[in-house]
Amino acid sequence: MSEGQHSGGPDAVGARAAAVSVVSSTRPSGWFRSQTSRRLAFGYLLLAPAVLYVLLLVGAPFLFSIYLALSDANVGDPVASFVGLENFRAALESDVFYIALRNSILFTVVAAIFKGLLGTTLAFLLLQPFRGKKLIRGLVVIPFTLPITISVLSWKWMYDSQFSVINWFLSRLGLIGSYGSPDWPIWLGEPYLALSACIIVNVWRTFPFSAIVLLAGFTSVPNEILDAARVDGTSFFQRFRYVVVPMIAPILLIGFLFDTVFTLSDLSIVYLLTQGGPANATKILPVLAYQIGIQAGALGRGAAIALFLFPLLLPLMILMLRNLKRRED
Amino acid sequence: MSDPQPVQTDHASVSRRRFLKIAGGGVAGSSLLTMLEARQAPAQIRGTTLRILQWSHFIPAYDAWYDKFAKEWGDKNGVKVRVDHIPHLEIPARMAAEFAAGSGHDIIYNGSSILTRLYYKNLVDLSDVADAAGKKYGGWIPSARTLVEVEGRFYGLPLFYILLPMLYRKDLFDANNLKAPDTWELARVAARTLKPKGHPTGIQLSQCADANLNWRSLFFSFGGQEADASGENILIDSKELREALRFSKALFDEGMTAEVFSWDDASDNRFLASGVGCWIHDAISAYRTTEDTNPPVFKNTVIALEPQGPGGKRVSVAAPNVWMVWKFSKNQQAAKEFLAHLIDNDIEGMNQSRGYNMPYLNDRYQKPMPVIGTDPKMQILQDFPKIVAFYGHPGPSTTPIQEVVNTFVFPDIFTKVARGESIDAAVKWGVGEYRRIYAKHKRP
Amino acid sequence: MAAPRTQRQKEIRRHLWIYGALTPYVFIAVFPIYWMVITAFKQDPDLYRMDVFPLWFHLPPTTKNFTYLFTNTNYADWVINTMTIAAWVAVITLVTAVPAGYALARLRIPGSENLGIAIFMTYLVPAIILFIPLSRVVAMLGLQDEWWSLVVVYPTFTIPFCTWLLMGFFKTVPMEMEEAARVDGCGYWGALLRIVLPVSLPGILTAVIFAFTLSMQDFLYGLAFVAPGDQKPVTVGVPTELIRGDVFFWGSLMAAALMVGLPVAILYNFFLDRFIQGITGGVGK
Repeated sequence: MSEGQHSGGPDAVGARAAAVSVVSSTRPSGWFRSQTSRRLAFGYLLLAPAVLYVLLLVGAPFLFSIYLALSDANVGDPVASFVGLENFRAALESDVFYIALRNSILFTVVAAIFKGLLGTTLAFLLLQPFRGKKLIRGLVVIPFTLPITISVLSWKWMYDSQFSVINWFLSRLGLIGSYGSPDWPIWLGEPYLALSACIIVNVWRTFPFSAIVLLAGFTSVPNEILDAARVDGTSFFQRFRYVVVPMIAPILLIGFLFDTVFTLSDLSIVYLLTQGGPANATKILPVLAYQIGIQAGALGRGAAIALFLFPLLLPLMILMLRNLKRRED
Repeated sequence: MSDPQPVQTDHASVSRRRFLKIAGGGVAGSSLLTMLEARQAPAQIRGTTLRILQWSHFIPAYDAWYDKFAKEWGDKNGVKVRVDHIPHLEIPARMAAEFAAGSGHDIIYNGSSILTRLYYKNLVDLSDVADAAGKKYGGWIPSARTLVEVEGRFYGLPLFYILLPMLYRKDLFDANNLKAPDTWELARVAARTLKPKGHPTGIQLSQCADANLNWRSLFFSFGGQEADASGENILIDSKELREALRFSKALFDEGMTAEVFSWDDASDNRFLASGVGCWIHDAISAYRTTEDTNPPVFKNTVIALEPQGPGGKRVSVAAPNVWMVWKFSKNQQAAKEFLAHLIDNDIEGMNQSRGYNMPYLNDRYQKPMPVIGTDPKMQILQDFPKIVAFYGHPGPSTTPIQEVVNTFVFPDIFTKVARGESIDAAVKWGVGEYRRIYAKHKRP
Repeated sequence: MAAPRTQRQKEIRRHLWIYGALTPYVFIAVFPIYWMVITAFKQDPDLYRMDVFPLWFHLPPTTKNFTYLFTNTNYADWVINTMTIAAWVAVITLVTAVPAGYALARLRIPGSENLGIAIFMTYLVPAIILFIPLSRVVAMLGLQDEWWSLVVVYPTFTIPFCTWLLMGFFKTVPMEMEEAARVDGCGYWGALLRIVLPVSLPGILTAVIFAFTLSMQDFLYGLAFVAPGDQKPVTVGVPTELIRGDVFFWGSLMAAALMVGLPVAILYNFFLDRFIQGITGGVGK
């Protein structure tokens, strides 16, 4: 099995960075030139719809949002004046902003850890052959398929301070006190509990997806390679670490990036569960930006808060994606 | 508005109402009423469309009545009326979107979060409608103006507000020889006595609308003030605030459980309805929820006036509801006509909301008022208008006050203290936040 | 005989071990659903009680919450809207992402690497910012307060990821096949349509499913652009019309959730195999 060629085959896994594959060809140069121009024309044509869509509906609004972040715009005021980095400075001066930043990062990191753990172990389990696998797989994916507002509201009811079914069980099992005792966890009322509650919902919703993606990755590693490794006398975990992971790294990376960005910018879970409370314990950047920018009307400051992570995430993203490219070459 | 209209005195309409109520019964009677009260609008609005956006009232019957009411007015005047409902919390986002789009609804509603001052340059001046209604019905209660007045003009029409009275369990109080909670101190004693018996009280110590309202009621009843009459100067850094905080800490420690940190606007409703709460400070939505889900508890639940603070003062902060018209509306004439019609029938709205909607016009307070005047348990609510106040009291609901409200700074001070922070630290933080927000809204 | 029996015993033991390990996962995933079912069928007074076992009924179950949905809200409209929106969004995503993915994967466009990254970057722009200028766009197109506005807006978050996904799939199509087709006189179009697309069908299906489910994860855009009750998708209708003032209509909320959640989950399940296959790029075990 050669490893140099890039034409499909063993490297076949999901989304990865665009690679410039080198085609070794020996065609006469004149014909090649017109071939190139035709190829490029075709390429640009195919690219046009997607690029146009994104440019018009995301690019332009994005530029507008930068304008907002650099102005003193209010929701009701058509005229706003340029204030430079004033909004960003104001954000950095407010306590709540740092709390929100900390919460956002904490949320994302903790959620990622749990999603990774749960997703990996579940994927391992689903790798095994057993009866009823299809059914189990179908059941386990349900959290991911439910529309987000609906599943968050169900959890809100499960976390209720009085009628929480979770607490009911825990207290019947003797793990916590009964209602009214200091042992009765008020999921959405204690600061760390509330943050955990939101993280739990986020993890619950996405760990099936992680598991499925991992599962897909595992199954894509060709048996020949695994067998070769087995013959070499490697243990399961060694095979996993040195053979499987490098091969599925691209898809792991993409999935991880996508999930991170989504978690960092998601408003729905916290908004519907706690609105950022109690006492800002679950206030994450998108919620803060929404409250200041929309509910209080200070658009410029809201935009600055919302865009804050952008300059941090962008280089990270570029670095990771370039790294991906290098892995393929 | 210079349209000819039949002159009606409140008295006559009340008796006519009562007659039709008995004769016609319920909804049928009320639609007859609306026909009677509707004025004939000018012909030029015929054939136009009117789009209204407002909240989903917690009493579904009110929305059903409102939609029908709007449609009937529309039919009578040849206007196609459409009413859309979304939760009041989402209205600011919707307003921002409509403003950016330069199109949307004609009439838009604000509840609790009054953004009139934020958008006033893009709202229609409704002073003519407001002045006419004021003249007809004895004038607006003082707090009404502060909500919507900019430079002396009404940019919105306040329609009703929602009270948060005291709701307490008379049976529990009687069984324990407790006096009715006419002062905050009595309320505290009651909670202290009843909590060990499994009946604590609860007021939200979280980031929700009720928290904003309840803790201000306490503070204002203790003699505190949020901003001065001009609205420019912050007055919360006072001994009254410290007293209120000391009281709230004692109340929390002795009479509440930690669950109040997770409460939203509906949690105290459920608390009362479950039979656990000995008293709550909440809108009568809780009263109605209990009526529907726990009749035995409901029988023993009594509505009481806002408790007095140590100085004998009573101030009850209410949640305002205001209607506005966008300048980009293509049907401002019909919008104004409809709003005038709406304010003529605000009493009917009160009826249909089972006594929830409180009017802003003085004449409406003639007793007996609908629903609350006839239900013996609710009569006390008729005494509230004298003590009602809104955010920013005694100043107007300015833009910085709105931001303070929307970022829940005020209840956060109380939450911090309940959690164990020193009063001085919490006050320092709160005042700091207020100052920061006020400073941002000062334009050069 | 002894040998087959121990083999079977081993199998059964292995199965039990696996089922045991899987139980927590299944429980965690499925319990909220069960809770939704119970709540949906309970009467209101039965809901607000703490003294009894909450996982079963104490007052007889009722279908009142379900009928409420159909008589007092536009639930039926919401569901139809949601499905229609999702279908259209999937179509638009396909039409834009498939060609784009192919172009970036195979056609060696200069700067394709950076273009790929740039497309992914769009996710960094949060919806709370985007919805304001987008509402202007929606108004300009005359689509304000119609569910079509969402059909226009949702592809902004489905196209980038699906493009990436499809790029990966297309790279797994052997170059030789394409070259051969082109040499045979198919040209670029022919190679794409006749060779590449059929082979990448699993990948395309994956992208479709993804776009479909993603379009049911939005809340803000639906709230901002669609106010009339009969135009809302379910994700907006449920939190906005079943929560009134400060009262949550839990029974109907759960009934609403069930009726849309379960069919989608079942549908998803059918495509799950394809999905997995698709991610691996069509390479079987």
